[in-house]
Amino acid sequence: MVQYYHVCRRELWFMSRGIDIDRQTTNIQRGTHVDKTSYSDSRQSFMIGNRIQLDVLDSGDVMEVKVSSTLETPARMQLLFYLWFLQEIYGIEKDGVLAYPTERKRESVELTSETTERVESTVAGILGVVSQDEPPQLEKKPYCESCLYQDLCWM
Amino acid sequence: MPKPNHHIFADGELSRNEGTLRIDTLDGDTEYLPVESVDSLYLHGQIDFNTRSLGLLNEHNVPLHVFGWKDYYRGSYLPKRGQVSGNTIVEQVRAYDNLERRLQIGHKIIEASIHNMRANLRYYDGRRGNFSSAVNELEELKQTVASTASIDDLRAVEGNARKAYYACFDDILRDPFTLQKREYNPPSNEANAAISFLNSMVYTTSVSAIRKTALDPTVGFVHEPGERRFTLSLDIADIFKPILADRVLFRLVNRQQLSISDFEDELKGSLLTESGRMTVLEAYEKTLDETIEHPRLNRKVSFKTLVQTDVYSLKKHVLTGEPYHATERWW
Repeated sequence: MVQYYHVCRRELWFMSRGIDIDRQTTNIQRGTHVDKTSYSDSRQSFMIGNRIQLDVLDSGDVMEVKVSSTLETPARMQLLFYLWFLQEIYGIEKDGVLAYPTERKRESVELTSETTERVESTVAGILGVVSQDEPPQLEKKPYCESCLYQDLCWM
Repeated sequence: MPKPNHHIFADGELSRNEGTLRIDTLDGDTEYLPVESVDSLYLHGQIDFNTRSLGLLNEHNVPLHVFGWKDYYRGSYLPKRGQVSGNTIVEQVRAYDNLERRLQIGHKIIEASIHNMRANLRYYDGRRGNFSSAVNELEELKQTVASTASIDDLRAVEGNARKAYYACFDDILRDPFTLQKREYNPPSNEANAAISFLNSMVYTTSVSAIRKTALDPTVGFVHEPGERRFTLSLDIADIFKPILADRVLFRLVNRQQLSISDFEDELKGSLLTESGRMTVLEAYEKTLDETIEHPRLNRKVSFKTLVQTDVYSLKKHVLTGEPYHATERWW
């Protein structure tokens, strides 16, 4: 949800209504593959409260794996949300690592007062979008062409 | 790019061979069919299959359409829903149950259907006959669609349009083919037989497209849900029959790829022979794969994708109220 909010609010609205289309596309398969095969011996997946699945490295850092760094802000916000959630709900303080295995790149992500504020305004924003009766207006974005919802949005 | 359909004409057995489909024909041939490369599977011959082969089709979301004696459509085995959405079904039924909303969708479907019939007549106007009065009649009927206030009236307009449209077929179709009157069960002559067969193909194409969404195929807007078939598929098929079925027939007949000898007479009716069906299906599948530039998607899409995006558009309309664009030929 957090990522969708920062990528496309219309997509977030569709997701929130369970409007799903073909998941067999190559992009999705590629993402799943990269996620499954990267760092598999040094990280473990945890399901928290049946809602949030996150990966924790042996070092204790929370990791978010992405195929590419094109949508960097949304991925970073997703990771920050996990960190915020751990701290807010469980009182656990963690740092995060944003990893792009195919680009051999890693960045560390920390919860500061400034990033905490951004997470909180994101959560409020998500609630706002999801509670609307209609999806946000159609808007052309550079990555529409590769979006799963392209055929639904523009038809 | 959507995957191709696969048709099996031989008699024999369909089974699962580890992760792939295996077809053993009575002639003693064995063929392997990679299941992940098939969009929909069509059985035209007498074929035995078991639950293991259905299981494999299920895993890969491949619908199976079964044709029986003389290729009458028998039914479909549909994979377990990959798309489950209570929301979608609730909204679809709500739209059906609200006369205003139902009419709004019905108007779009019939307008598109008439538009596409008219496009065919315009293409052949002057080429094979003078159809200007029929073209005008269809145009006028299309104008009246929006003011119909009941589903019965809407269907009456659609019926009149189809009548005017079919009346032109005798001039479009090269001799000795004539339609005279649209008749089915059984089709009374060769042209009727070919139209019936092609229409059943458009119907199965719609069934497959609807299955890829969470829409319920039994709740149609123009057709009543009481009818035996998937009424939403009948609605969608009405839009695409002129584009996918009729054009294929005109082309095959006028280029003399299909002749009277591709039919046989049976019990007061006429039916395609096996080689006739092969000819028709080959042309139909080719048409499904033809592509055109789509103005709203900014890319080339095949006719098969066009059926899919039409269904997406309907689904989006039902869920969000954004306008439904029933496919009207623009090319």
